Amino acid sequence: MIRHHPAPETLLAHIAGTLEPGHALIVTVHIEACVNCRAEAARLEATGGVLLDELDSEPLSTGAFAAVLARLDEPAPPKPVRPRQADLRLPPGLRLPAALRGTAIGRWLWMGAGLRYSRVTLPWAPKENVMLLRVEGGRRVLRHSHGGAELTQVLWGGFHDITGAYGPGDLQEADETIEHQPLADPEGCLCLAALEGGLRLPWISRLMGK
Amino acid sequence: MSTLETPPPDAAALAALILRVSQKRDRTAYAALFKHFAPRVKAYLRRVGLDGAEAEEVTQEVMLSLWRKADSFDPAIAGAATWIFAITRNARIDLARRRRGLPTTPEPEEEGHSPSAEALTLAYEREALVRAALDTLSTEQQQIVRLSFFSETPHVAIADALGLPLGTVKSRIRLGLAKLRAALEDKT
Ligand SMILES: [Zn+2]
Repeated sequence: MIRHHPAPETLLAHIAGTLEPGHALIVTVHIEACVNCRAEAARLEATGGVLLDELDSEPLSTGAFAAVLARLDEPAPPKPVRPRQADLRLPPGLRLPAALRGTAIGRWLWMGAGLRYSRVTLPWAPKENVMLLRVEGGRRVLRHSHGGAELTQVLWGGFHDITGAYGPGDLQEADETIEHQPLADPEGCLCLAALEGGLRLPWISRLMGK
Repeated sequence: MSTLETPPPDAAALAALILRVSQKRDRTAYAALFKHFAPRVKAYLRRVGLDGAEAEEVTQEVMLSLWRKADSFDPAIAGAATWIFAITRNARIDLARRRRGLPTTPEPEEEGHSPSAEALTLAYEREALVRAALDTLSTEQQQIVRLSFFSETPHVAIADALGLPLGTVKSRIRLGLAKLRAALEDKT
């Protein structure tokens, strides 16, 4: 049961194409898992279609149709090569979301006791700050805000903080005003997170005991 | 001498044209789709801030994609205009990436989502329902929805157009979307 969804204006920005690429990736992963947001995304996309269809036509240059016709038989551009993905030894039964397939995934790096991260690089937006986070059961992460919005999608396990409890499929949308110290559930937690505004240190964090 | 314009094809006819392109590589159907969509795609691209030459270039890319990707069009999932909108939105994002020497976003690989209840509404009917639902919004709410789709920086554009403080834009968007959703939720 998914309880936490992207904010309505975030989903709208995603469908309109104005969300930053890192956030767009997280929302795509959420939509993959969430039937409600999939339905809402379909409604919003249909809205985009209707609005496009209603626009007053803008005439094309005279040769446009002929130019496109002449290219119809060109071979389609080759598919991009899939970047390297480290073997992350995921919890049994867990597959990474399909939306991550075109991304490069680094090996786990140590961030503190019971806390590791793996950098996710988007070839189409390499400066975006996206990472997988693995927190051991019962660990608390002190998150230090960077002033930008932060989207976190739970892939496995869960955590809770003052804003609520988050399980698989849930998306947390946090801005700089939220002081939160997520505490991982007993089985631990695997999340995908994106910070707004390009390359910065991932969650400056330190660990507290239980 | 008067020229008689043929009426624009309706949503069901447009979907049928795309199916003719995907199944029969039908260039007559393609020409009809080009005539209908290319000027609208270009208009959309101009609205989101591309100059005339860029809009022309990307429109041609979109129309080429229509030909190449026609077999990914599923009338149970999206109406013709919806499908074209998604291609256009992505092409615009990809233009910015190409300009920076970056690769384009990979095509989503369909996971074969089991059709949910909402997919039972035929997608072109959904477009008609959306059109009717948009009509139930206030002028201001319609403007908010349009600017959300037709602006690079929607929140700023909405604040400017409606004379609102930036801080209240988010809640106005939510109100407009909630009304739109309420008008659609039982039906789509
Ligand atoms: Zn959701």
